[in-house]
Amino acid sequence: MKEQKFESYFGRKIAIDASMSIYQFLIVVGRTGTEMLTNEAGEVTSHLQGMFTRTIRLLEAGMKPIYVFDGQPPDLKKQELAKRYSKRADATDDLAEAVEAGNKEDIEKFSKRTVKVTKQHNDDCKRLLKLMGVPVVEAPSEAEAQCAALCKSGQASFSLVYAVASEDMDSLTFGAPRFLRHLMDPSSRKIPVMEFEVAKILEELNLTMDQFIDLCILSGCDYCDSIRGIGGQTALKLIRQHGSIETILENINRERYQIPEDWPYQEARRLFKEPEVVTDEEQLQIKWSAPDEEGLINFLVSENGFNSDRVTKAIEKIKAAKNKSSQGRLESFFKPVANTSAPIKRKGSKCVLQSPKQEIKPRIFSLQACYSSGPKLNGGLCLLTLDLGSKHSSPLGRGVCFSA
Amino acid sequence: MLELRLVQGSLLKKVLEAIKELVNDANFDCSATGFSLQAMDSSHVALVALLLRSEGFEHYRCDRNISMGMNLNNVSKMLKCAGNDDIITLKADDGSDTVTFMFESPTQDKIADFEMKLMDIDSEHLGIPEAEYHAIVRMPSAEFARICKDLASIGDTVVISVTKEGVKFSTRGDIGTANIVLRQNTTVDKPEEATIIEMHEPVSLTFALRYMNSFTRATPLSNTVTISLSSELPVVVEYKIAEMGYIRFYLAPKIEEDEDETKPQV
Repeated sequence: MKEQKFESYFGRKIAIDASMSIYQFLIVVGRTGTEMLTNEAGEVTSHLQGMFTRTIRLLEAGMKPIYVFDGQPPDLKKQELAKRYSKRADATDDLAEAVEAGNKEDIEKFSKRTVKVTKQHNDDCKRLLKLMGVPVVEAPSEAEAQCAALCKSGQASFSLVYAVASEDMDSLTFGAPRFLRHLMDPSSRKIPVMEFEVAKILEELNLTMDQFIDLCILSGCDYCDSIRGIGGQTALKLIRQHGSIETILENINRERYQIPEDWPYQEARRLFKEPEVVTDEEQLQIKWSAPDEEGLINFLVSENGFNSDRVTKAIEKIKAAKNKSSQGRLESFFKPVANTSAPIKRKGSKCVLQSPKQEIKPRIFSLQACYSSGPKLNGGLCLLTLDLGSKHSSPLGRGVCFSA
Repeated sequence: MLELRLVQGSLLKKVLEAIKELVNDANFDCSATGFSLQAMDSSHVALVALLLRSEGFEHYRCDRNISMGMNLNNVSKMLKCAGNDDIITLKADDGSDTVTFMFESPTQDKIADFEMKLMDIDSEHLGIPEAEYHAIVRMPSAEFARICKDLASIGDTVVISVTKEGVKFSTRGDIGTANIVLRQNTTVDKPEEATIIEMHEPVSLTFALRYMNSFTRATPLSNTVTISLSSELPVVVEYKIAEMGYIRFYLAPKIEEDEDETKPQV
């Protein structure tokens, strides 16, 4: 796990979970209270604005983005989706109350929670991306799984997708070899991109991929409930001790931990290990092309009321960006090898909780499950957060720490 | 235990000046064969490989292979404190997290010790395979530096093409274009002023001038520079360090997009 500069990803092909990004745009871009960016017809355009500017930012940095859209959700996720739906319904009620009461903070809070990515939003974005010359992939099922598959297949074939960019750690569980967080954050926030490598995480946690999947299921995933009383830390301890969910179930104190009656962990595991994805290069059609200027102006300016000058300038940027992506990277010629010299300097001891010395780059990470009740991620989905300990050492400091 | 004594201390100063612009932090590797460094710039476009062989040192002791992570700007600050004629000795103890630079004046009347903290650097070591290059150009290093500087005032990239006519450096910018052709020339008074072109196959590659100009900071290390080119390979710009080794810069070329990628899809 390391922090990387946004710029260092030039020339890289990056698979992006589109639904997650659109969701973020709808929440963040051009919102004040319940008001959002709209076109003349009153249709929301926040997602288009967001998608347009952020994608240009990626292109300008020389990256080659591939957007992956969700397909049919797997059956197991329906329960989770129903929960989100009811949460959204609650939020809609709360919002109505807040509007009546005139409480600005609450209006803001609840209106964000009512956000839903519709088919229309998705279709708008697909059309925009195609006009921009950016490839779009429709996943048969989960977008994250498809992203992971593109990245995995990239290891062997010519497509070479370098990493998956998402905010949802599920991509790691789906086996994406590399995972980027904060890639799509606005530049104004100045957050460095966080790069995770599955192989290194597994090595540091001392787990196999199967155990890691079990860990994620135990800590809570979209596909089945977690066991009450077991969070990330307990889950890690249990997996370390017993090796798999089966052995845990045999040995666990059933009075202390209530295992849900209907707990389809095996199916969840299968979904993570063998998700429904497309791997056929022909079918995927991943190609970056020149932008369709006329189409873009027509779509953004005439249909959605964007400022014509801005769009024209943005198109110029896309064209200029093409040039930058032509710089080759050394890794495409030379492959990494193991260095034989041992560092003279001894590395830090295990589990450091004090603030590390500045010159030693800390590589502590904490593992803990967190329930995102807020609207930052799709509804109330529960995800596994792996965070750099140094920055957030106070809240996460008690997690499991390693320094390498 | 590590102890390296270099009589020609100014050499180390020049080495640092040559690479510190390209790389911020790097691991110096020491083994029985010598003192070496391999590091990439932050965008992974260029790589520098340095080798100072153990024979070139007046005294060289390295008990086991070790690597020392240093911030090159800080090393440069330390070395700036050494006089140009000073003898420089590098010392490090096993398990210690510092390295000591000792500077002795030639007359032995002044001895200075500078201790610097080491750092942990995660760096990837790339395997660079031996390759047969399509074309190898040896020319005066000052001439190469001049060409890169001149071209950079006109464009951002340089196309280096080697044909049987000679080697051509060209660029294109908003204000116009520039072409500089050098022909093979061995009838010179001093051998280091010669331009020697060894070509097996014609080759033409495009590079970012920004990096080339950064490489030419190594010019004070050697009178000549060797540029090795192959299509589909990074260029190697090598400055030989007399009796000690070399400093080699690798730069990934710019790659022309495929035809079908530039056509609109919709």
